Amino acid sequence: MTLLASFDWQFIWDHLPDFWQGLKATLKVAAIGIAGSLVIGIVLGAARAHKLPVVSPLAAVYVEVFRNTPILVQIFFIAGALPHLPGHPIRLDPFTIGWLSVMVWGGAYNTENFRAAFEAVPYRYREAGLALGFSRLATFFNVTLPIGARIALPSSINTYVSVLKNTSLLTAIGFAELTNTAYSLESESFKPTEVYVTLGAIYLVVVWTLSALMRVVEWRLSIPESR
Amino acid sequence: MKRITVTAVALLLAAVVFTALGAAAPGGNVARMAAPLAKPKKPVKPKLPALPSAVKSRKHWEIGVKCDYPPFGFINVRGQNSGYDVAVARRFASLAFGSNKKVNFTCVTTPSRIPTLMSSRVDIIVSTLTWTQARSEQIDFSIPYYSATGRLLVPNSSSVTVPTLGSKTVVTTRGALYAAWTRNCFKNTKLLEVDSPALAVGAVKDGRADTFMFDDAFLLNVATQDPDVKLTREKFLNVPWGIGIRKGDAAMARWVNAALRYLKKKDEFAKILRANAPARYVPDFIDNVPRPKNSFAYPVGKDVTSICP
Amino acid sequence: MPDWVDPVAHYMLHEGLKNTLRIAVFALIGSTVIGILVGTLMTIRFRPLQALLRLYVEVWRGLPIIVTIFLVYYALPTTPYIHHRFGAFAGAAIGLSLWGSAQVAEATRGAVQSIPHEQHEAAAALGFGWLGRHVSVILPQAMRRLLPPLVSLLANVIQNTTIASLIGVTELLATGQRSIERLQFEAGADSHAFAIYGAVMVAFFCISFPVTRLAIFLERRLV
Repeated sequence: MTLLASFDWQFIWDHLPDFWQGLKATLKVAAIGIAGSLVIGIVLGAARAHKLPVVSPLAAVYVEVFRNTPILVQIFFIAGALPHLPGHPIRLDPFTIGWLSVMVWGGAYNTENFRAAFEAVPYRYREAGLALGFSRLATFFNVTLPIGARIALPSSINTYVSVLKNTSLLTAIGFAELTNTAYSLESESFKPTEVYVTLGAIYLVVVWTLSALMRVVEWRLSIPESR
Repeated sequence: MKRITVTAVALLLAAVVFTALGAAAPGGNVARMAAPLAKPKKPVKPKLPALPSAVKSRKHWEIGVKCDYPPFGFINVRGQNSGYDVAVARRFASLAFGSNKKVNFTCVTTPSRIPTLMSSRVDIIVSTLTWTQARSEQIDFSIPYYSATGRLLVPNSSSVTVPTLGSKTVVTTRGALYAAWTRNCFKNTKLLEVDSPALAVGAVKDGRADTFMFDDAFLLNVATQDPDVKLTREKFLNVPWGIGIRKGDAAMARWVNAALRYLKKKDEFAKILRANAPARYVPDFIDNVPRPKNSFAYPVGKDVTSICP
Repeated sequence: MPDWVDPVAHYMLHEGLKNTLRIAVFALIGSTVIGILVGTLMTIRFRPLQALLRLYVEVWRGLPIIVTIFLVYYALPTTPYIHHRFGAFAGAAIGLSLWGSAQVAEATRGAVQSIPHEQHEAAAALGFGWLGRHVSVILPQAMRRLLPPLVSLLANVIQNTTIASLIGVTELLATGQRSIERLQFEAGADSHAFAIYGAVMVAFFCISFPVTRLAIFLERRLV
């Protein structure tokens, strides 16, 4: 335990405000990213499950591209390649690049989650909805979506937690989130153990809390038969 | 079922074979031994102190250099380490072992160079390391081998100058002394820290930052090549660069300083500059390198980053 | 093909892609070996051990990979326990292995626990001890169920090797970026960033997509 004895607790205490600033930025970007992934997941997942023409194949391409390329490359592409897009350069600030890239990445995974979930809704329920006179769209909103969303909960929760964890990669474009703050702190104070152990501890607390919260939501919303 | 296991095992074997066929050196060390820059030298062996035993027994240097900072440390078109710092490192290899190939390079960035040195992954770092009081408490510096000044890079249409930095966004590399100086002297300015100079240039051009505060050598080249950006007139923070040595490694410091003094005496630094900088810049920067008639000193006792304009 | 393409492609393929695959293979082997071990041990009904291993899994799964790699590469060498200095390549491989082993451990635990209890009983009745039972009877059956997640992990590991570029390993993404920087330095305005980043995306897609497809195929056929 000599490691703990030589740990500079005072240093950590002094710099907690910096960590807090970084954490706030992380949570902001993650919140937008998670919300965006949810929307993309439901919309495109439904399009894929119902095999809507035009939208479904395009969504399939989107999903396969963004699930099979590393998120760090996607971040650098949005940050560094889009401004050089031949003809129509797109320039974005770090915050926008941040939530956009994690949202696009999370949306691809979530689309797959929701597609599988919607397809897993037993056909007899949808049949029943149609038989009761609901239009296809109304059937979707009243039958498929409520049940499918609950089926999708476990896998989409994984995706949301991953979105939160992946915001750490935004340090590469200089966005001042938690990991970036720690990295800069370490390169000026030369105390890697203190800084990175604290960084790790903060992430674990946040990630575990988020996971636990979402499990509670999942439990509350779960379909009665599966409890 | 059998076919699947066979396929899976075959894939795994192929991956292992592929790895084994890869060249020997681990990634992260660009160990390209062919050096196009140095002319074959018949060294009149200068009288240098004893080479540190770790380097001697290993029979080659392990040196940390920048790989993203032309013209001091970068990867050339052939995929080899190249630049002013790299050339100095190769001179060390020649002086120690008679061949400028006896050196392995490790790519470092501004934030990673000191941790890489302190954890003994490399013998020394020749990586555009500006002297600061804070750094000199962590590591030892050799005598200066280059002197740079700070400049501001802005888009052509910009009217930002040092006095007007107030509410603007300044981008610089993480852990650079410019970051500390901005934080100390320009409290209202937003500071964006990135890991490489190229990313910082991109930030200015893409509008994520108003100006890039950095060393003149790098910025002048950018401004000359790129018609969309320019340098403001101001020069600030003129502090020399040194070679990073682990604290207390007296044998290494003795050898490195003796080697640097030898190179200075023979006007080798001017030769290295001419070989690595485009010809039109050499007149501007020839006074930044150690030459027989000039001398540089670190501002010891002064914390340059707190000296505000 | 324009002039600039050849040296860039050569550098990216011979240095970058090579290092990407080397890290991936090392990380995959490390993850598999440690993961299967940890996962199998997790099925032992001994609370303290289960708690400890559960902590291991939750920590390395909960931390972002970049934080794990920073801890291994920057923090670990400054502690008094580590005397051997390892480079960025090893740091990245170890970090990825820790993360990967947590994934494999979870999958292994699930696979081993899904083997019907009758198998354990039959093996015990035949005189196998705990170790023999697991090595000769349980694990071979669990491997079938483990193969799809392992293949899927391979695809993820390959993609996550890009994180190593942030500690200085010259893998595929980093070689692309160094080339962009060099071109920017030489040619000024046109660094071909779009083409080079695009090429990196395509390269990873071409490696990852077939592997993912293979995982799905194996899932259907084996499980």
